[in-house]
Amino acid sequence: MSPDAAVLLAVLGLPFLGAALVPVVHRVLGERTAYFAAGVAAVCLALLATQADAALHATPDAGAVVVPWIPALGVELALYLDGLALLVGVLATGVGVLVFIYSAGYMRDEPGTQRYYATLLAFMGSMLGVALAADLIALFVFWELTSVTSFLLIGHYRTTDAGRYAARKSMLVTVVGGLFLLVGVVLLAHVTGEAPGLARTFTLVGTDGSMLANPEGVRGALETRGLFVPVVALFVVGAAAKSAQVPLQIWLPDAMEAPTPVSAFLHSATMVKAGVYLVGRLRPLFLPPDVAVPDWTLLVATLGLVSMAVTAVLAVGATDVKELLAYSTASHLGLIIAGYGLATEAGVEAGAFHIVNHALFKAALFLVAGIVAHEAGTRAIHDLGGLAEHLPVTAAVTVVAALGMAGVPPFNGFYSKELLFEATWEVAAHEGGLYLLFPAIAVFGSVFTVLYSIRFLMLFFGEPPDGLADPEIQAPPWSMLAPTVLLGGLAGLVGLAGVLATVGVHVEAFESFLASVVASSAVAGGHGFEYHLPTSPSPYAGMSLLAIGLGAVLYPSYDRIHRGVRRLRAVPHTSPDAYYDAGIEGLDRLGALVPRYVQTGVVRTYAAVLLASTSLLVLGGYTATGVDLPAFDGFVVGLPIALVLLVAVVGAAAVGTAPSHVAGVLTLSILGFMVAVFYVLASAPDLALTQLVVETLVLVILLLVLDELPAFYGEATRLRSITDGFVAALVGATVLVTVLVATAGRPDDRIAEFFVENGGVPAEHGPVLLDAAGGGNLVNVILVDFRAFDTLGEITVLAIAALSVLTLIAMRGTGEAP
Amino acid sequence: MSDGRGRPAGRRDPRRETTVIARLVTRTVVPLILVTAVALLVRGHNLPGGGFIAGVLTVTAFALTAIIYGLDELEETLLGVTVPGRGVLSGVTETFAGTFAAGLALAAAGGVAAMLAGYPFLSQAVVFVEGVPLYHEIELASALVFDLGVYLVVVGALLTILKVVGRE
Repeated sequence: MSPDAAVLLAVLGLPFLGAALVPVVHRVLGERTAYFAAGVAAVCLALLATQADAALHATPDAGAVVVPWIPALGVELALYLDGLALLVGVLATGVGVLVFIYSAGYMRDEPGTQRYYATLLAFMGSMLGVALAADLIALFVFWELTSVTSFLLIGHYRTTDAGRYAARKSMLVTVVGGLFLLVGVVLLAHVTGEAPGLARTFTLVGTDGSMLANPEGVRGALETRGLFVPVVALFVVGAAAKSAQVPLQIWLPDAMEAPTPVSAFLHSATMVKAGVYLVGRLRPLFLPPDVAVPDWTLLVATLGLVSMAVTAVLAVGATDVKELLAYSTASHLGLIIAGYGLATEAGVEAGAFHIVNHALFKAALFLVAGIVAHEAGTRAIHDLGGLAEHLPVTAAVTVVAALGMAGVPPFNGFYSKELLFEATWEVAAHEGGLYLLFPAIAVFGSVFTVLYSIRFLMLFFGEPPDGLADPEIQAPPWSMLAPTVLLGGLAGLVGLAGVLATVGVHVEAFESFLASVVASSAVAGGHGFEYHLPTSPSPYAGMSLLAIGLGAVLYPSYDRIHRGVRRLRAVPHTSPDAYYDAGIEGLDRLGALVPRYVQTGVVRTYAAVLLASTSLLVLGGYTATGVDLPAFDGFVVGLPIALVLLVAVVGAAAVGTAPSHVAGVLTLSILGFMVAVFYVLASAPDLALTQLVVETLVLVILLLVLDELPAFYGEATRLRSITDGFVAALVGATVLVTVLVATAGRPDDRIAEFFVENGGVPAEHGPVLLDAAGGGNLVNVILVDFRAFDTLGEITVLAIAALSVLTLIAMRGTGEAP
Repeated sequence: MSDGRGRPAGRRDPRRETTVIARLVTRTVVPLILVTAVALLVRGHNLPGGGFIAGVLTVTAFALTAIIYGLDELEETLLGVTVPGRGVLSGVTETFAGTFAAGLALAAAGGVAAMLAGYPFLSQAVVFVEGVPLYHEIELASALVFDLGVYLVVVGALLTILKVVGRE
């Protein structure tokens, strides 16, 4: 059963349409544009929901909706909906609805709301594209679109240095990560053609010939070429950049410069989930069955666990509420990636389930942070405390969400973290040795997770610090409170379902949905999924207990740990941030060198650089493609041609010694006219005519210009003469080689024969000729008939050149002042 | 724009007046060049020639006039444009720019006309008209329209460049 094509296309198209309409809508609705955007998101959510049944029963070898895009390259806009895609789509639209409503309160009286809503809608569309795309090229395009829209949203406050720095940083990290992804995509698609029974394809999933329908073959082909680990690594780098994994997590804390709804939407529930989504989507492709610790696990699970632990520690060192949440997000994404990295069933269940749980509790916590910042006027952790008195509802949501984040039973995060513990324990128990580190790192990270979760909770309890101005704290508007409560409530319900399942009452719909999400990433196909509180002692229940217990015990010395982490962060050469900044500074310095050596303002330099680099590129191209120079086997010319060529050579030699510009130009024209005569002798009257006329015009124009030129350029230094001579020789050599190579090729004569046959007037013809060109001059017939489209292009270029001259020279100085 | 002796001075230095010979030759040759250019354009379909060559030749004629008589003479006397060129597209530049725009439009419109008739873009046809006095049979090629477009673009674009660069 496959999803409805029209519905999927509508889901993908509506957000972009909505984004385009925002300026019009804003004119009518003003601040209430937020509800229009929320409406668009709600429609998309409803449309997705109608396809849920198809998604729950999707199989990777059928069901893709295919729209041809670039047929010549095998690129399609293929859409596919299964459990995982549905989950990410529902997160993007569902959290989208809530975030838009929240924005109505949060963004009131903020600048640039039109831009904000349009970009946020476009982002939502891009994210839906990532979730639905079944073609790797389409996936890449939407992937980068999320980076671009994220850049615009992080830099929403365009005038602040911090906003610009953060936007640029996130753009560079995620887009460069995207380029790794692109290389991986191209390599993977190239190799698929070598798999037995597979054609070269970019289609990842959803058709009979797609990669995920034939994972064995694709893996085999990759391993034959020795590309398996490189391709996996390329995809993982792309995913890690997007999902803020160590050491590429640096952009996420800075991205908190964005308005808080953006942070809740992009940097907790959706965009950072794109990397996780990719890992989950590719897992069945790269994970061979029946291998306990495959390469995939070594790469992905290690990356996830290390990120989980490192960023959890960094979160404890945070001083700002949103910074804490940002590091925590990176940590939880690490957990998900680690789950997907492990080859066991518990691993994939941990990854899939934690996507849901993390989106619910983290989006709720971000919205809480927004309320706190909005009402208390500060985000500094040290200045906040005891807020429950003023914000009781928000405090209640925080209890549910923060305890879920900490993994405390029976709240929602507990179940998925328990699954991760189980998966790491299985590997460690099975393999022993270094793999014992897997559960150890997981517990270590979780201790810090518990620590910072309690710290976040304590914003609402305990004694308020002195500086907090009590009377000013008001209850937030309903548009900010309702989405927060809803998200927190959903997180609580997920936890409650676990409790109910323990006593035998199952929420079937939710469990079968989760089962289909798991099935999307599972190797062995899908089966049921259920979760409940542990009913008997087990090693992983012990791990949970250890983490929570250690966290609670250590919390009283939180401030000491916090200072310790900050000291650790201050150790030079350990922060990837420093390397990023140094890299940017180096680029700046490199940029400063360009005007000094290349952009000197002297035409001579420009000409030399342009000509030399063009020649080197052309010659390099010949070398790279291994072009052979034709063998020289002598040629015979008659006396007239020899004489003409001799005069031309003498003329060329005389140019160099011409005493003045006028003499030089006139001597140069000897060369040109001799070439024209050569054309006449070689039976090319059209070429000769053209050469004659152009030569005349050039001569006339040069004489016109010469009036204005200085008579002398000053003495040429030896160095300059040598470099100029070198450039001249290089250009000459390039042209010579090009002519030799070009004339050596013997193109298929059929084209020429076709022209000759159809160019002239046929012997018998009616009054109107349509099949033949009917011209005696074949050269001109080719220009205006057979190849008229080329000629149209050429005259367009000529017209553009004239327009450029008009705008560059004639309009100079009349434009706006910079 | 006159130096008071009834002769346009343009921007030229009076001490570098062109000789009588040059002026006389130009006066004689320019019409010949122009006629040749038109001939090249018309006969291009069957004999050496064509829109591009004809266009370049026409520009040569204008450039020669500009060198010998000055740009202003070219504008005021030959083309009858007297509006002083202050803006970018005023005066003679506007004429030149209009010429290449019209040429481009003509060339493209010919192609579109073929599409309207149900043939691919830029398809050309030839019509033979019988019974014309003197010629007996005349071959009318739609390619000539396209060639005329090429001619106008070449003339307009090169003259625009010449005018703008020349004014510098």
